[in-house]
Amino acid sequence: MRRRQFLARLVSASLAGASLTGCAREPPLRAGMIHWIGYEPLFLAEEFGWLDPSVKLIRTSSGADTISGLLSGTLDVGAMTLDEALRIAGQGVPLNVIAVMNVSAGADAVMVRPDMTALDALRGRRVAVELPSVSAIMMLEALEEAGLQRSEIIEIDLPVHQHANAWRQRDIDASVCFEPYASVLESLGARRLFDSRSMPESILDVLVVRRDRMGLKSGRLRLLLAAHFQGLMHLVRHFSDAMYRVATRQGVTPEAVRKALGTVTLPDLAANLRYLAPAGLVEQRAAGLHQLMREQALLDRPVNLKGLCMPAFLPRSLV
Amino acid sequence: MIRTTGPALIRIALCIALMLASSAIPARETITVGILSYRPADVILTKFRPLVDYLSAQIGKDVRLQALSLDDMNLALTANQLDFFLTSPSHFLVIRNERSVTGVVATLLRQSGATSTASYGGLIVARQHRHDLNRLEDLQGRVVASPGVLSLGGYQSQLLELMEAGIDLRDDSRVKLLGSHDRVVHAVLAGDVDAGFIRTGVLEQMMAESPRQVRQLKIIHPQKLTGFPFALSTRLYPEWPLVALPHVEPAVVRRLAAALFTLDSDHPAARSAGIGGFAPPADYRSVELLARRLEVAPYDRLPTLTWLGSAYQYRFWVLAVALLLTCLLMASIWLGRNRRQLSAERRRLRQLILDWPQPMLLIREGSVLDSNQAAVALLRFRTREAFLRQSLVSCMPPLQPDGRSSADAFGESMARVRAGAVEAKPWLFRCADGSDLWVDMSLAPVHQETRRDNVILCALHDITMRRQAQQRERLAAGVFDHAREGIFIADEHGMILDVNAAFVSITGLKATQVKGRLPPLPLEEGPGILLSARGRGDWSGEFEWKRSDGKPLILTLNVSSVCGEYGEAAHFVGIFSDITARKDQENRLRTLAYYDALTRLPNRSLFIDRLQQTMAQARRQGDHLAMMVIDIDRFAVVNELYGHRCGDALLVEIAGRVRLALREEDTLARLGGDEFAAIIVNVQDRSSLDSLLKRVLADIAEPVWVADHMLEVSGSIGVVLYPQQDEQTADQLQRQAEQAMLQAKQAGRNGYCLFEASGIQA
Repeated sequence: MRRRQFLARLVSASLAGASLTGCAREPPLRAGMIHWIGYEPLFLAEEFGWLDPSVKLIRTSSGADTISGLLSGTLDVGAMTLDEALRIAGQGVPLNVIAVMNVSAGADAVMVRPDMTALDALRGRRVAVELPSVSAIMMLEALEEAGLQRSEIIEIDLPVHQHANAWRQRDIDASVCFEPYASVLESLGARRLFDSRSMPESILDVLVVRRDRMGLKSGRLRLLLAAHFQGLMHLVRHFSDAMYRVATRQGVTPEAVRKALGTVTLPDLAANLRYLAPAGLVEQRAAGLHQLMREQALLDRPVNLKGLCMPAFLPRSLV
Repeated sequence: MIRTTGPALIRIALCIALMLASSAIPARETITVGILSYRPADVILTKFRPLVDYLSAQIGKDVRLQALSLDDMNLALTANQLDFFLTSPSHFLVIRNERSVTGVVATLLRQSGATSTASYGGLIVARQHRHDLNRLEDLQGRVVASPGVLSLGGYQSQLLELMEAGIDLRDDSRVKLLGSHDRVVHAVLAGDVDAGFIRTGVLEQMMAESPRQVRQLKIIHPQKLTGFPFALSTRLYPEWPLVALPHVEPAVVRRLAAALFTLDSDHPAARSAGIGGFAPPADYRSVELLARRLEVAPYDRLPTLTWLGSAYQYRFWVLAVALLLTCLLMASIWLGRNRRQLSAERRRLRQLILDWPQPMLLIREGSVLDSNQAAVALLRFRTREAFLRQSLVSCMPPLQPDGRSSADAFGESMARVRAGAVEAKPWLFRCADGSDLWVDMSLAPVHQETRRDNVILCALHDITMRRQAQQRERLAAGVFDHAREGIFIADEHGMILDVNAAFVSITGLKATQVKGRLPPLPLEEGPGILLSARGRGDWSGEFEWKRSDGKPLILTLNVSSVCGEYGEAAHFVGIFSDITARKDQENRLRTLAYYDALTRLPNRSLFIDRLQQTMAQARRQGDHLAMMVIDIDRFAVVNELYGHRCGDALLVEIAGRVRLALREEDTLARLGGDEFAAIIVNVQDRSSLDSLLKRVLADIAEPVWVADHMLEVSGSIGVVLYPQQDEQTADQLQRQAEQAMLQAKQAGRNGYCLFEASGIQA
């Protein structure tokens, strides 16, 4: 997932232009996100027409595009992992977390050559990791689990979509990646040595909004979240249907969707209220990540975490 | 299991088993599986035959398959004839709701080529050439065929999509329920309906059987879903559940489940049935939510009635009720306005009656129900309240002037009025302050339109003044009729209008004779007195008048002019009386005072009076008069000799003789005893006086026959003339005459002697 800022800007610019002509009164709320099983409820809602026209979903080609969109202001809202949100905040754009979209439960993994059976086997091996992404956190967690230092492995900063190629050419011995790339590597004979199931409730995908846009578009933020939970309900309760729709959108088999869904948990409204509460999971994780990323120099400057969570836009109840 | 050894035998055995199974208590252990015949029963039985055989072999019991329509399956379930059943999720929900089931054993996997799926949905088909039908919205108002309302893939799934697009076909009752998917497809192909609802997979199966026909169909609202092997128009739902009934032994359920789960998709039995095997039970919550959303069985009994929905459902009633309410509102507004007008009118009317100067009241049962202020004031009650509910009879004296009891008279009147008559007659009332009041009371029944509540309207008219006037009139008439004075009433010209009885008796004229004529008036003044009466207001006087029978009358008359309304003299009223008798009496009295009773000659006082008048007249006119005094000589002797009667007769004879000797204008009087005196007026000369004196003496000296006696007497006369040189009074004159008479007597009687200032001459 190399940043394709040019493309992203092109897409954003064209969308912005369209939105200018399309909605003369007020530009719509722009929410950017990649296609990811954890973000599917919003795309399902869009497919069924449950998303208000004043809210536009913009599919970004990579997480980096989402980040740059938020940084440049072409996006108001973005879906990303919590560490990515901290990175944006670290670059001087204050954000608020308005919802937790999913919690990784096996979606992020460390894939290794079959001969490696334990984490400490990573020592001295070439490990591919996309450092500006959540994989960096995953790698740090795995190293901590193994009792290794970053210096004890050979760290190769590689966009995750290039891992499979590197694997085939045996340029790497291990890959820190996530679904569906993990499954791809698995089919190439890689072994799943460590995944996010071992670190429950630590990798969160959140929906963030630029703090400077929040006040202006609060009504539409509520509409966005209402649509998310409606889509979530369809995904959970009408799985027989949703499975096929997600597969169609992501271009994978329904079986793969079923599997992918097994690697995340999708918190419902009640769980969201719990997570976003003061001293809730999000705040705890953010604090932990902040410390870790500062230590590992992944964060250029400290971020004020006070008031990070903003549960005000969550729907009061589900219809 | 015995398939290879003897299929015929098996069939016979199966038939027997079936026959036995159909009885209430199965004689042999046979597992009966019911399957909803979503396609024609023979097709299903043929396709599932290998599966049945597979299961029989795996479980070790005879498995019997029954392809049942929805109703038949319900019937069979009611009769407890099934051990397992495979049906649509919607139907399963209904069954689960009505009876207990063990739960879903497995969910069917449907196979298409290499792909199997545990999901299915609905398909909306129309004929290819129907270019007007492309989107869901085009189905609005169209006739659509469906297998049945409990079909998930052939009814409910499509309804949800249409509902999301804003269309509810159920409102228009445009859905034809045909019982099976095949019939739906045929109906669409035949053009009987515009579109058809079928479940996914049916089209593909039919495609294999008759591809030419199926190619004539197109799919509306197609969903392109990766990995789903069938054409689709709706959302996906979990495939059919295989359900065990509670009476089946758990071991059998386990064995059957094991057999089902071990069935591979490439197993001949699976291939023949067109299924990919069975999967662990799916989550049927989505079907439940659908049924709730559509409000179909089993959730149709608890419809979540929305306001809008019910308003739409009862729109005609709502409209009618709204219309009625509007009408009601308008009517009440109209009625209210009318009532206000009516009450205002009534108030006005009531005020009018209350303030009307004519006293009015309403009576019920003889008591005052209502009255106006004038009536209260008329009967002198202090307040209206004191008057109300009074009995009207209590406001009357016990007896009416005609002597009847007031209560009786009033009761009779009321009875007549209640019978419908209108009465008006005078009544005597006794006011609250005790004064009497004559009232002309009109009584009229008040007719209500529908009922008569015996209310009587009563109008009172105070006629006390009129009665008093009438009384006065009667009195006046009585005076007029019974007065002793004659009274006439004449018009402004003096012509008589009316006279009374006294007039008739005094004048002797009949009333008819005098009307239109002048009344009796003084002859000399005539109608002049009417003029003076008009001028001065009245005239009075006495005059002589002749009765109709010629008798002279003296009448005293007083004529008054009566003014009319504007001060003009309108009438004359004359009152006169006959004073003839009174005049006679007066004359008699006068005679007694001034005349001698014996000789009927003036007495001394009258003589003196006449003398004075005659003297005054002579002075005025320059005439001469003479006065003489006559004394009968030796009259005392006569009285002594012949008595007073004789003497009186002699005096009467001599008085008559002297009277005849004198002129008419001369006056002879008896001064008393035998002394007479006379006034001779207009004495021309001495000689004529002398001759007169001589003649008087001669007449006296003539013999007189009285009381059979012939008497001869003489007289002595003294005369005096007037005027003389000195002014003389009557008394002086008389004394002079008496001196002269004494001289004459001295001179020898039977002679006369003239008194002169210088001396008396014989």
